[in-house]
Parts: sequence; structure tokens; C-alpha cells
Amino acid sequence: MTGCEGEPGDFTISVRKHPRYVREDLCVACGLCVDACPQVGGNEFDQGLKARKAIYRPFPQSVPATYVIDREACLNDQILYCQHCMDACDVNAIDFDMLPEDVELRVGSVIVAVGFQEFDARKLGNYGYGRFPNVVTSLELERMLNASGVTQGHVIRPSDGKTPRRIVFVQCVGARGEGGRPYCSRFCCMNAVKDSMLLRQHDPDVEEVTVLYTDMRAFGKGFDDFVKRSLEEQSANYLRGRPAKIEEVAGGNLEVFVEDTLGHEQRRVPADLVVLSVAAAPNDAAPKLAETLGIETDRYGFMARLDPAISAVETSRDGVYVCGSAVGPQVIPDCVAQASAAAARAQLYLTGERVEQTEARAEPMDLSGPPRVGVLVCHCGVNIGGVLDVDALAAEAGSLPGVVAAKTHLFACSTAGQEEMVELVREHDLNRVVVAACTPRTHEPVFREGLAQIGFNPYLLEMVNIRDQCSWVHAREPDAAQEKARALIRMGVARSRHLEPLQESKAPMTRSALVVGGGIAGIQAATDLAVQGFPVTLVEKQGRLGGRLAAPHLKYLYPNMRLAAEVLEEKLDRLRRSGARVLLKTEVADVRGFVGSFEADLAGPVPETLPVGAIILAIGADLHDPQGEFGYGELTNVITSDELERVFCESESEAPIKGERPSSASFILCVGSREAEGSCTGCSRYCCPTAIKQAMLLVRRGIDATIFYRDIRTVSGGAEEMYREARGMGVLFVRVPPDRKPEVVGDGRAEAIRCHDELLNRTVEVPTDLVVLSVGMRPRQPDTKRLHEMLKASVGLDGFFLERHPELAPVETAVEGVLLAGTAQGPKDIVDSVAQASAAAAKASVFLAHDEVTLDPAVAHVEQERCRACGECVEICQFHAPALVATADGGYAAEINASLCKGCGTCASWCPSGAITCRHFTDRQITAQIDAFFAEEAAS
Amino acid sequence: MNLTKDKTGVMTTARKGWNPRLVVFACNWCSYAGADTAGVSRIQHQPHFRMIRVMCSGRIQPGFVLRAFEKGADGVLVSGCHFGDCHYVFGNEKAVEQFEKTKSVVKMLGLEEGRLRLEWISAAEGARFAQVIDEFIEQLRELGPSPLSRARSGDEAAGALTPEAEEVEARV
Repeated sequence: MTGCEGEPGDFTISVRKHPRYVREDLCVACGLCVDACPQVGGNEFDQGLKARKAIYRPFPQSVPATYVIDREACLNDQILYCQHCMDACDVNAIDFDMLPEDVELRVGSVIVAVGFQEFDARKLGNYGYGRFPNVVTSLELERMLNASGVTQGHVIRPSDGKTPRRIVFVQCVGARGEGGRPYCSRFCCMNAVKDSMLLRQHDPDVEEVTVLYTDMRAFGKGFDDFVKRSLEEQSANYLRGRPAKIEEVAGGNLEVFVEDTLGHEQRRVPADLVVLSVAAAPNDAAPKLAETLGIETDRYGFMARLDPAISAVETSRDGVYVCGSAVGPQVIPDCVAQASAAAARAQLYLTGERVEQTEARAEPMDLSGPPRVGVLVCHCGVNIGGVLDVDALAAEAGSLPGVVAAKTHLFACSTAGQEEMVELVREHDLNRVVVAACTPRTHEPVFREGLAQIGFNPYLLEMVNIRDQCSWVHAREPDAAQEKARALIRMGVARSRHLEPLQESKAPMTRSALVVGGGIAGIQAATDLAVQGFPVTLVEKQGRLGGRLAAPHLKYLYPNMRLAAEVLEEKLDRLRRSGARVLLKTEVADVRGFVGSFEADLAGPVPETLPVGAIILAIGADLHDPQGEFGYGELTNVITSDELERVFCESESEAPIKGERPSSASFILCVGSREAEGSCTGCSRYCCPTAIKQAMLLVRRGIDATIFYRDIRTVSGGAEEMYREARGMGVLFVRVPPDRKPEVVGDGRAEAIRCHDELLNRTVEVPTDLVVLSVGMRPRQPDTKRLHEMLKASVGLDGFFLERHPELAPVETAVEGVLLAGTAQGPKDIVDSVAQASAAAAKASVFLAHDEVTLDPAVAHVEQERCRACGECVEICQFHAPALVATADGGYAAEINASLCKGCGTCASWCPSGAITCRHFTDRQITAQIDAFFAEEAAS
Repeated sequence: MNLTKDKTGVMTTARKGWNPRLVVFACNWCSYAGADTAGVSRIQHQPHFRMIRVMCSGRIQPGFVLRAFEKGADGVLVSGCHFGDCHYVFGNEKAVEQFEKTKSVVKMLGLEEGRLRLEWISAAEGARFAQVIDEFIEQLRELGPSPLSRARSGDEAAGALTPEAEEVEARV
């Protein structure tokens, strides 16, 4: 991008398109040029660990699938007339005279998603990266562990190609103070835990994985449980310490010099391979891009946001939005939520030009006649191919009854794989397609869409799950896994022969939304939808908006001590201007219907029944009640973090706290979070920075503050810097072991905290006048339970609403049209809640943008001639889909309302006369699957 | 048919290197998803089962289970969402009613009760899915091959079906 002129809604963007020297319109991605090219160099995508030719594809799934010539390396510029690639190319796509092209784009808004680059570990000379071949970065390891990567998933030592037996991870390389970057890189802890598990599973030769860490920052939903599993499976030794240096010893082996701060000894940890978990650094090109766009960068060089508490994606220039790691290190679920938030904001300047479904669907293909089945078996890199003999599976599938073609593909879901599938259909006149790959729960839509585009009825596709439920879970028994895959494919093919083409139908979409809960997330979601012109009703059961952002819950926001009231006022102002309708003291009494036509009974001062197309749940969370823990409720000076916040809200600096003027205060973290058992095993995410913020406020009042912690998890933007500042101010931090909680000493009144100080390795007793319990977040009850019952949106083991998928669909639920915002889905802070709420609004607007909703045709159907009108189906259906209707011959028969039917098929299994068919899961289809399981033995 | 004698008689030969054939009917929203979760988390478990996905456990009528036994299954698992968690509200409760009917017919066929199981496994419970599979397969190893499949494969030790069982089998 070389220029950005104009106004929001009407930008002119100048783009310089560098020549690839291969014509996109001609190249067929056959790869003959690559075979012909004599020049070999390092592949950037594989961190230089793998070779590529001078003509190459940047990575296997690049879009478009066109090659590009690296002119720096190309021999044509060095030795005249090499031109091997030109000779090899059958379609004359190579064009050495191609020139840079300047393109102008007219757009309404701009989204910056340029990501990050990894910290250059060469800057830390003591770790020896660049000098010692067996010191690699986490990204290099990732390329090795990746199935389609350098070594097809096998980890080797760069020096000698041997499998390393002892691997040491060094965390926080270039983060948390080293190399001038104080921030936390957020994803590295979980990445190291994940890698340790992959390493141990993948290679039995790997004997020992050691992770050298400072704090285990497993802050996201389900992260702590993942770490717990790693500990249970002993995938790694976790050693707390930051190495002083790494040295090479004989044979390319390494020694890591580190102080084990919990074991209290200097250690030299021997290693065959050292992995540096390198931090996320800003993109080198970011400052120039920011300048071109007229937006700011932060002090590190990441894209700056105007105010993340107000908007997750707004920059200093209206119409230009940022998301993902371009604004700082992020984990994937947060990136995805932010990206949706950016899309929602960007839509503001696209109103009136909303993109309708553009691609014209092809004419339906004639798929009648006896089944002609085509089977595509996916390698999924080594995810499947590393365990199963994919070629043998395809060969055998080819001989199954009805199968006329069977092929394999490295990645069936890639563009090339989809093209292969389409090609197979055309070439062999297929009228059934079986894809043996991953789970239909994530990828059936992908393959269905690919088929629908050529007019192939998507319901004639059958997916066979040989990855998630086979190669991934039976990796240790490849023979039995192969046997299972063979049977599953046999069953899938048998089922496919009985599949029937089904036609989708349409139902009206009520183009308005209901937002449940008027906290920060609800306010954000309602505002975002309302400014797009959709009618929105925001219901809040209390008499005021703002939830926990409003006094008396919150006075200052971390990390920069902004007044919460100011932020709330701005949010409320935006809400008022958006035109959203707000109903206070109102609750949702009941909800009926489905996406497009929900009906919500609202119980409030003026009860009403509201028709809406989509529902956003932003009901927030409760705080843990620590009654009986740490003397809370018995000792007068033990309070919760929420109660301390009230003190800040209610009083100015010198006011007493609980009637006292304490001279010292102690904070106990993880109260009701990260418990060993039960439903509270997760991190509540907001408590670490909140406790630090509160401790700093107390220190400013002249009160000494000590924080008793297990891991300090200051991961949000600016929080790590605040943590350092707090230490500089004299806030004391005492690390305590998870299995030995601190003890509050005192009778009637807390006098001291007694605990085992892990870093001093002895029991300490810290006198205190005040104890503050940092309480974790809990699912809000009874609201979560009630809404779960009404809407059937699932709840996870932790009791919070469960997202459909943490990365693919972080704000959606399994119930179409029901979305999640804020802490209803799990603990978060304000910035993350705001981002997620915008994402939920964006997802809701996808539904509301259309007049109609597409109905799944895979529902129940009554064959009325066989119906005896017994009424059993009417009785058992929870969705009131079947009804008895008068028939032409004067009798009665059941009829099913397709827009109410959810396709569970219970009525079909119940119907005593066999009159009900559950489409796409018919008796015949299921029976064919059962029979095919045992077909081989019957035949032999 | 004397089950106890039959069972012990066959077990010693059957257990060595013998793998049962287990059919698993799982609902799309919870149990099938739970099996996927086991996959995503790479929780290894025994491979001797084949999954049949349906939308809801309420879809599983007795005929499907009996068909599986008739064709040679040594065990059948029906699995759905936990109570109160069913994607279709009460589909799993209907599944229980269907299951009770199935159980009585399975009994009439002379099959051990331990060959048929109903389990609730949520989308989050990958580890539990793996555990249920492992346990059930071990249990089936203890039981040995199904008398129905032994009868069909001409295994002398299996003995003949009871007259009621023959009648039922003819019906399914």
C-alpha cells in the first residue's frame, strides 16, 4: 500500500503490485517449472530449514495457487538464457518482462491485519542463537512439528539430523524485559506446553522436555486444564528460571545455565536441542504503513488503538481499523474475535452497499441414475498420512460397490483439493461424493459449498472421519487404525449410495436483534448493531446500565488508571446516539422459535412479546463468594477485591477502609480460580492486574501492599508494564505453591498471612491490617441456567456458555442465531469483553443482513398414506413441528412443519407405523452403514 | 443356552488376540463432538469400534441395535448428551425409553446385558469418551464373542440360540 487518500466511506488506496513473473491468468499450478528450475535456495516459509527453487509457491496453500520467481536467485539474470522454466511451461505463463503494477482501489474502510514478526533472537548473544546450530526458535520447531513442514513432523537436530532426546524450552525470549521489550507475548506459554505434548506423543525417542519459565500464563478458557494435563502426562518438567547463558559442549550438545528459583540451586541443564520461545515483535514495515495510513503506532511499533476500552479496533483515523497481532501479541481466539469486531466497524461505511451473496450458483446438475460414487481420501499432511496408508485406502475404496473413482489428496480442503473433487465429479459423472478426511462437524460445510458451486446437490456428499476419530486417536496402533479407516470408508460409501438430494428452503428473517444484559459487552453489542441501522432491544434486569463498569464496582481501569465512569459515560453516549432501544428492570421470561423468528417474552414494567431474528447473550458473570475461605465472614478485616473497589468508589484518598486506617494490606490471588478440582479450575484473567492496580492505589495512600500469588498473569496490553511499575513502587510479591494456600492468622481480626514463600524456600509470616481476596468469576446464576434451558445454548464444564469453537467460532453457540458477548462465555477483562461484543454484533449482522434465512432440509417428513394418525409424534416433539391435519380422503394424518423441525429424528424412531422418515438419516442409510461394517467378513 | 459356562469356555481362547467389534451410535452435538474432542486433544483409546453419527440419540430405534447384533457386533454403545443438555431438549430422554425396549429384546435374544450400553458424553468430555470406549472394549473382551456372531460363524462352543431368540432374530 503506497497511499491512502479520502474520507471514511470513500478512500482511494494506492497499491503497488510487485511482479511475480508468472501470469496468474495462465498458470495452472502444475509445478513443471519447479522441477525444471536448477536453482535451489532456502524456503522463507519454513524458516530456511527447507529448500525451494528460484521459481516457487510461497507455501503449499497459497492463494492464488500461482508460482512466483525470485529474481534475486534466478539464474536467468545471472547466466544468460537459463529459461528452463519457460521451456517447461506448457501454457506460456512465464513472463520475465512483467513490470510492477500500480493499482487504485476505491474502498469505504480499511482494516489493518498485518500481524507480527518474531523477535530476532540473535540480539540476545548469551543464548547463542545463530552461533549454535542446535539452538532453534519456537517457529523453527513449529515448522518441524508441522505435518506438511520441513521434516513431516519429525523433530531433528539441525547439526546432525538426529532426533534430540533432551529438549529445553526457554520462555520469554525477547519478552518481559529482555531486549528492551517489557510486554508479555501472551501465546508462548501455551505454545510450549502444546509443543511438549506433541513432542512426547510424536517421538518415543524424546525422553525429556524441560520448560524454563517465569510465570505460567495459562490465562485463556481451558488453558489451565491443558497445563494440568501436561503435568499429569508428564510431558515436560517445568523449571522456574530464566537462563543466564547457553553454551555448546561436545558433539553439538548444549548446556543451559539457569537458576532454578523454586529448587533453589544453580543448574546446568544438558540439552540436545534448545528451543527459544521468541516473543512477538512489531512488523518492521508497520511504522511506514502506519504513516501511509495516517494512524499512530505505540511505543513499541505496534499499531495503536485510540482507546481499547472504548473500541477494540478503532484507530486515530476514522474508517481505518486494526485487529489481531498488529496491535500486540494475541492468542488466536482473541484475534478471531477482534477480526470480527473490525469487520463490524468497517461495515459502518459500507451501509447501503452491503455485499449480498455474490457468486451465482450453477444450474443444478442432473444426478439421477444408479449411484456413481467418487471417493477422495485426504492425507491432511501427516495428520492422516503419517498414520494411515492413504493410497491403500483409496485403492480399496475404488473396488467398493458403486464406486467409480477414488483418489487421494494432500489437503482435500485446500483450493486445489476442492478443485480435484470437482474435477472428479465432472470426469466420472459422479452423483455421490465421499470425502474421507476430518470431522464433518467442521468441514462438511466446506466440501458442501465446493460442490454446491458447480450445482452438485450438497446432500449427496458423505464425509468419513478418519482423522479426528481415527489417525489422531489410534496413532500408536497404525494397523488397527488402518482397519478402522477401511471399515469407516466402507460404511460411508454404503451410506452414500442411499443418500437423496435435498433442496434447501427459505424462511423469513426478522431483521432485529435482542441483546440480553446491559453491561459493557451488552452496551457495545447493541451500539454496534444499532449504528448499522438494525432495530435493537437491549434488556437489563437492573435499574441502570453499565454492569461492573458502573460504580460502586469499579473506580479506575488498569493499566492506566482511567476513570471507569468516564469510559462508561462515553459508551452510554454512543449507545444513546445509536438509537438502540433500552429496557431497564426487564428480564427475558421465555424464548421460542429459531433463527430469524425468535419470540421473546420480556417481563418488565411493561411486559411484551418481542419478535427478533438473532439474540446476543451478554449477561455477564458473578463473582465467587469466598464465605468461609481465608477467614472471610469471620475476621472483620478480610474483604473481597470487589469490596475494596467499592471503597475506592465511595471515598477519597484518606477515607477509612472498613472503619479502619490500615498501614499494611495483603492480597491473596486465585480465590475461587485455578482450583485443583471442581468447576473452578480455570483462570479468571482479570484478577492479577486488578490486584496490582489496587495495591498501587493503596501504596499511594501510604499503605504497604503485599501480593500473594501463584503466577502473575499480566497479559493484557500495558499490564506487564504496570506490574514492573508496581514492583518499583515497593509492592511486595510473594509466590506461594498451589497446594499450600496462604493461611490468614488472627482471632476475630486478621493479623498476619502465614505461607510458604517459594522463592525464599521458607515459611514466612507477614503482618497485615487488611486482607483482600481477589475473587474469581463465576457463571451468572440463575440466568445462565435459565437461558440455557430456554435457548438450548450449551454450557461448558466450567458452567459458562460454550462457544461453538474456540478458534473458528468464538462468539457463536451451537444454536444458530444465538451469540455470546463478554463474560457470559468465560472470564475476561473490559478490553477483551468489548472486542468480543463487537464480534458478536458482527456475527448477528450476518443474519440480519438478509430478508430470509435458509432452512436445513434434513428434517423429518411424513408419508401420509402410511400414517395412522396416532398422534405419538405430536406428543413427543418438543418443537411442535408435527400436527395432525385433515387429509383429502376425510381422515387425519400427521404433517411436519419444516421450519419448526430441527431434524433430530426422534419421531422417526418413535413412529409405530414407520410413516416418518428422517431425511439424511433414514432407516435405510443407517442400516446400510451397519451392514457395511460387517460386510467384509460376510464376503470372506 | 448356559451363558456362564459358555462364557468361561470361550473366554480363554477368545481373549488372546481377539478384538471385539463394537458399534457406537453417537449424537452429533455431544458424543460425536466428544469423540472429536478426544481427537483434537490426541487422547489415545482402543480402535475396535466404528462410529455411526446421528443427529440425536433419540433417533436410535431398537431395530438399529438389533441389526448390529444380527450382523455380528459384539457390543453396541448408544451415546448422547447429558440430561438437561440435549440439543433437542428431551431427545435423550426418549433415547432412554427406546433403549429400555431394546434391552428387553436383546435379553430375549440370549445376549448378555453387558453387551449393550447407554452413556452420556458431552462435547467437552473427550477424555471421558476415550475412557468409556476403553472400558467397554475391555468388558467385551471379558464377555468374548457375541453368541449370535459365534452361532453364525458356526462356532461349536456357542451352542444354538434359544427358541425365543430365533423367533426374535427372524423378526429383526
